[in-house]
Amino acid sequence: MRLELLELAASRVEQADVYESEVDLTEVVFRQGKFFAQETKLTHGLGLRVIKNGRVGFAASTNPQRLEEQVRAAIDAAAFGQTARFDLPGPAEPPAVQTFDNRTLLVNIQKMREWGGDLIEALNSRMPELKVDLNFSRCYREIGVANTRGVDLSFERVELELSVAGLLVQDGIFWVYDYVNLSGGQGFPLEQVAERVVNLARLGKQKATLKSGDYPVVVMPFALPQLLLPLLIAVNGKNRQKGTSPLINRENQPVLSPKITLADNRLRPFGTASEPFDGEGLPAVRNVLFERGIFKGFVYDLATAAACGTNSTGSAVRSYSSLPVPGLSNIEIEPGTAELEEVIKDIPAGILVYGFLGGGMSNLLAGEVALNVSCGYKIEKGNITGRLKDVSVAGNVYDLFQRVEAVGAAQRDLGDYYLPFIKFSSFRVACRE
Amino acid sequence: MKAFLKEVLAGLAVDYADIRVEESETTRIVYRGRELEDIGTSFERGGCLRVFYQGNWVIASFNTVDESLKELADELAIQAAELPPRDGGLIHLPPLDEIIRMPRHEDPRTVPLAEKQQLIHDYNRLLLEPKQIISTVSSYLDSHRTVYWYSSEDRYIEQEFVRTGFSCQAIARDGVNIQQYGESFGRAAGFESLRGKESMVERVARIAIDLLKAEPVSAGTYTVIIDPLLGGIFAHEAFGHLSEADHIAENERLKQLMRIGTRYGVEELTIVDDPTLPGENGSYRYDDEGVPAQRTELIKNGVIASHLHSRHTAYLMGEGATGNARAISYRFAPIVRMSNTYIVPQNRRFDEMLAEVKDGLYVVGSRGGMTELETFTFSSQYAYRIENGRLTKMVRDATLAGNVFETLRNIDAIGNDLMIHGGLGGCGKDGQSPLPVTTGAPHIRIRNVVIGGR
Repeated sequence: MRLELLELAASRVEQADVYESEVDLTEVVFRQGKFFAQETKLTHGLGLRVIKNGRVGFAASTNPQRLEEQVRAAIDAAAFGQTARFDLPGPAEPPAVQTFDNRTLLVNIQKMREWGGDLIEALNSRMPELKVDLNFSRCYREIGVANTRGVDLSFERVELELSVAGLLVQDGIFWVYDYVNLSGGQGFPLEQVAERVVNLARLGKQKATLKSGDYPVVVMPFALPQLLLPLLIAVNGKNRQKGTSPLINRENQPVLSPKITLADNRLRPFGTASEPFDGEGLPAVRNVLFERGIFKGFVYDLATAAACGTNSTGSAVRSYSSLPVPGLSNIEIEPGTAELEEVIKDIPAGILVYGFLGGGMSNLLAGEVALNVSCGYKIEKGNITGRLKDVSVAGNVYDLFQRVEAVGAAQRDLGDYYLPFIKFSSFRVACRE
Repeated sequence: MKAFLKEVLAGLAVDYADIRVEESETTRIVYRGRELEDIGTSFERGGCLRVFYQGNWVIASFNTVDESLKELADELAIQAAELPPRDGGLIHLPPLDEIIRMPRHEDPRTVPLAEKQQLIHDYNRLLLEPKQIISTVSSYLDSHRTVYWYSSEDRYIEQEFVRTGFSCQAIARDGVNIQQYGESFGRAAGFESLRGKESMVERVARIAIDLLKAEPVSAGTYTVIIDPLLGGIFAHEAFGHLSEADHIAENERLKQLMRIGTRYGVEELTIVDDPTLPGENGSYRYDDEGVPAQRTELIKNGVIASHLHSRHTAYLMGEGATGNARAISYRFAPIVRMSNTYIVPQNRRFDEMLAEVKDGLYVVGSRGGMTELETFTFSSQYAYRIENGRLTKMVRDATLAGNVFETLRNIDAIGNDLMIHGGLGGCGKDGQSPLPVTTGAPHIRIRNVVIGGR
């Protein structure tokens, strides 16, 4: 369909590109240990960007009967659009990226219900008082990009993910979480998931208290994305263009601890954001954002790069319904050498965090974070002594990530994050009571 | 369309099925500062199919509207048959065939894009005029939507919706002091409703600038008069969501709190949800389950009078359907939602209410808030001190916090000046946002409100 739309537009504009996405999403939901609902979403949409008289216009549609109107609407919009300071790219061979495994596609709605039932049974037999919510989501996508300079690319991706939330009601309430990326067709690691969830819940049976103060904090991979958020906003080229990133003029300077190497990797096998080319058809790459703490540069799409006088980093993120913007894909932090048991053993008093709540409400551009610990434990004399409630942490990530004391040797696959745990030497902790 | 939808559902061996197909055209324009940041049109067509069998829903949404939907319907029926049966049923309705058109306004689809752009450009320029205003966000949105709905009860409804709206926000600066203020406007009406908004734009700029000189409010407990905008948001956010039966059915604590007949307010307090009001953002004739819209009293004379229902929750709780199942678009199944929710006006005049306050606060507008069951926190846009019955200096950063039911009991005067407000955004719930709604209230006076601040 994208070539048909492109052809309709091509003769009436200087340049044009079309982004086409076809998505088949299936979700199976269990609540409180029981099957709750299943739902399917089938989406097919086309986004058309044109450059006419040097200006950008855009129109989107999910209605293939209105292609001609879509072209006219995009041309109309171009009369008022931003000045195009860039040219669309010509054809280039995209790298091979593993995004599709037929075995994953074969995991149908019945299979997800069966797996869910089995996991709930396994958890019930270990810990009947734990009530779990499960969410299986299988998403098949076909993404295509075509432009008037001869690019016509497409790829398929299947994502299969499971999120687990377990509720323990005992002397108050306590939530534990887990996540598995099953996109690689590796089968369902039922025993492993059940063990992990039950372990977290068992550790939480005991309540612990803490006094407000500064403590060493170990942040597990599942909770880490909330702390990374301000950094990921700051590296976005759009925030350089608008003058709102604190990283402006800090390229090639140390910003984080030398223990941190952080990359945006579109090439990671079976990452849930992996792709062979970006939203504008440029070959996908692995962009290192911080190398041993040194800021390596912003991420750009074509328009933002042109506005900043530089080149696209192949980081255009796009849906059929909007113009491309710079964005990130799979975020990786390179592993260190630390083992969790050893790290905990050396902490006289501190916190181990598996889940944060409340990200996004602070002044993120300035690097401020203020987060509630929704799943966390007290570490006392090298041992985990119980769960914490009504505890929050606050700080500035540019200060915090200078105080990285240890980085875990193993990375957790969280779909579009691939992260080790991180130990911060000191973090401001506030506790009620 | 009816014959086509009927064919899709024909012969399904289920207890109930419905299909909703939607066609829409939407135009948006956004200025940020002096720059036109976004302008474009989108054309959507898609639908949502639901089957209900032995207590289970199976749902699919789609973009492709052709004969292949017959296969999809069969597939959903097979999936439903595989599920373990559970308790529950639906309220059923008789056959119907009805087509509802909007009253003819200036159809935004016939207005040239250049005219829309010029209007917003002029408003944005007016907003930028004062030298203290350093940036703005001015947004325009219009949409035309036709929804075709058919159920296995041989019930067919075709409804047309036209909505237009405009919002503007001004950011004022004096050295390191940066303040912002915004207002939003939206109606189920044509392009004509957006003309003549200069006074709204000028007010937005003026208040943003006034806020530069306002001092932060001192924290404490005050007698508070809240304006119709904040009063309406309070009725919707703090109380209305508690009336939604899908939450009540799932939550024992809420079941207790929201038992019909429980007294929570003064005799004068009545809160209603009414999708039958003409021309408002939350208005409709039938909800997205084909149930007729009706006025529902949530609180009547201070006592819980009714809950808001879908066909399913009405059946589960043994109450009547209220026509409150709504979806933001064809991508979603309908869930229990509000429409136009407001506090019914009484007989007090604002100046009278003010004159009786020796020391208090007049709190205006809402910047959003959080509710967790009966606890709420709202932040206002701005406020004035009330001293000896008169408004004195402007203050900022006033947040209201408390228990909903306690706050309802502390209402001691309800004004006669109802104002219903619809904005460009809407209500968000369970990942469906923004749903067009309005909120409304007259001025209301409340004793002992905890105000957070410095």
